[in-house]
Amino acid sequence: MAYRGRHINPQRFERGQIKILLILLPLALFMALPIVFIINHAFKPMEELFAFPPTFFVRNPTLDNFTKLLKFSRSAGIPLTRYLFNSLLVTVLTVGLSLFTTTCAAFAFSKIKFRGRSMMLQINQIAIMFVATAVLIPRYLVISGLGLIDTILAHVLPLAAMPVALFLVKQFVDQVPDSLIEAAHLDGASDFQVYWRIILPVIKPAIATAMVLVFQQVWTNLETSSYFTNDESMKTLTFYMNTLVNSSNGVAGQGVAAAASLIMFIPNLILFIICQNAVMNTMATSGIK
Amino acid sequence: MTTWAKPRTKKENRIRVKRGPLEKKEARAGLLFVLPWLIGAAVFLAYPLGMSLWYSLNNIRLTSEGMKFTFLAQGNFTQILLSDPDFLPELVDYLLSTVISVPVIVVFAMMIALMLNEKIRGKGFFRLVFFLPVIIVSGPILASLTEQNASTISVIDSQAVTAAISAFLPSIIAAPISELFSNMVTILWYSGVPILIFLSALQKIDRSQYEAAYVDGASGWEMFWKITLPSLKPMILLNCVYTIVFVSSNDQNKLIGLIKSAMFSGTSEKGYGYASAMAWIYSLVVLLLVGLFALIFTARKDRYEREAKKLDRRAKAERRQVLKIQRRQARHAKKYHHAPVR
Repeated sequence: MAYRGRHINPQRFERGQIKILLILLPLALFMALPIVFIINHAFKPMEELFAFPPTFFVRNPTLDNFTKLLKFSRSAGIPLTRYLFNSLLVTVLTVGLSLFTTTCAAFAFSKIKFRGRSMMLQINQIAIMFVATAVLIPRYLVISGLGLIDTILAHVLPLAAMPVALFLVKQFVDQVPDSLIEAAHLDGASDFQVYWRIILPVIKPAIATAMVLVFQQVWTNLETSSYFTNDESMKTLTFYMNTLVNSSNGVAGQGVAAAASLIMFIPNLILFIICQNAVMNTMATSGIK
Repeated sequence: MTTWAKPRTKKENRIRVKRGPLEKKEARAGLLFVLPWLIGAAVFLAYPLGMSLWYSLNNIRLTSEGMKFTFLAQGNFTQILLSDPDFLPELVDYLLSTVISVPVIVVFAMMIALMLNEKIRGKGFFRLVFFLPVIIVSGPILASLTEQNASTISVIDSQAVTAAISAFLPSIIAAPISELFSNMVTILWYSGVPILIFLSALQKIDRSQYEAAYVDGASGWEMFWKITLPSLKPMILLNCVYTIVFVSSNDQNKLIGLIKSAMFSGTSEKGYGYASAMAWIYSLVVLLLVGLFALIFTARKDRYEREAKKLDRRAKAERRQVLKIQRRQARHAKKYHHAPVR
């Protein structure tokens, strides 16, 4: 239990690692199955996609599926880039907005006393449990009432207050010692400064985790595109990809769908690789002696 | 405006403390911070929730003039619970399988997180591999994977396991357990986010605690039980809740499918009101489930506080006793015209 250093990976292989690796490696194999499958599936030529018994690994990889996807989207009225732009804009806005609101609210719920906070938390808790599908129609009514149908905001606002994220971040803020905040107050910090300079840096791992969660929800969200927008040019990439997967049940569609799911998967991968460093390298800052 | 909104003890009920300017200022700051979230939550969470509760009490028909409401009171609920052929059995299935699989997921996640927190080569890679399945589980890819039998561990032949289990246990318990085995890989795929949460909690444990324990001669096993596990406890609850919610609101969940199909079915007795009622029943069940786990894992007061409270209570009782004696002495003094004995 000596000093562990700042690096995630130890430089050398040591004998003590063997027992852990023995457990981790086989499990990792199972966990990697879907990833391997997606990647392999996207590169399979037509006859392998329909082979029986189905194969897991690709034998003759081709880029056919991707070229087909490109051709498919070119023949449609709206270019693929438009969907991509929508998706990116929506995702960035939603993730930013929801992280801001959740961290603010989590700070207040956890560290500031005011009336009605336990009631609000309870509402949040109930909202976590509630099935999203069931509030679809009231949400639609709200959005159409506000005149937001066919705008970017129709994608962003419904997900801006995500109860699970608030619950997660609040749990982490609870762990921040009060004395840290009191010390800051004594030094003359305002509430906002406490939030910005102390809470945010200390709960960075939670923020990174919440960010991955919110991103995943927003990126794979079909609801807003299919229910809150009528204009084809305001829909997101996910929606488009999903229509490809669903509508093209034909033989040709299968390959396109496989390629599409790989494309949808890549951003998740990248974001997680970026975030995991943020999750891991914050151990030094949170301590108070 | 005189007391807090939190549940009051007897003492607080008696003595009403007026809030000073400092506390008022703090309350204002708190509201200010919550405000952005509050607006979003009120418009897109609370209001729709309330509306769906109202819908669940009605029969709703979509006509060309808009939605037509017929008030039914508890009609939808009784119909679901008494005469819907699918809902109740599915609900029981869901309950059993969730109660069994959630601990499995959380324990597995904790084990993996502990190992990933050790010094090993290729840590970043492992972390990636263990987290990524979550993204896929929530997508349509899972269906095609299950189709290809990738979601069962063929090594653990589920037939043999199932036979062994059902020989020992009554079938109502044996069925979900064998289902657990046949879906083992799928269940493990759910553990990505819990692993992440555990890891970030593990990172925050103060290293010097371990060093102190090490100096005192604690073994790794003891350190796990006395340091690691207590520090992880709040996160265990968080992970249980997260896993329950994730499993319950997944598209793969059959109950969600039921609710969806009821919502868009054209028959006169089903429809949106019926679906809302279903969703409410379902959410209440999920809430109960979460409550059950919360009961088990909420942080109890620690030993020091308990002892302090006990001492406090004893001191109070003594003081009462003294007062009682004094009063009695005073009474006696009056009665017998003696001077009170001090």
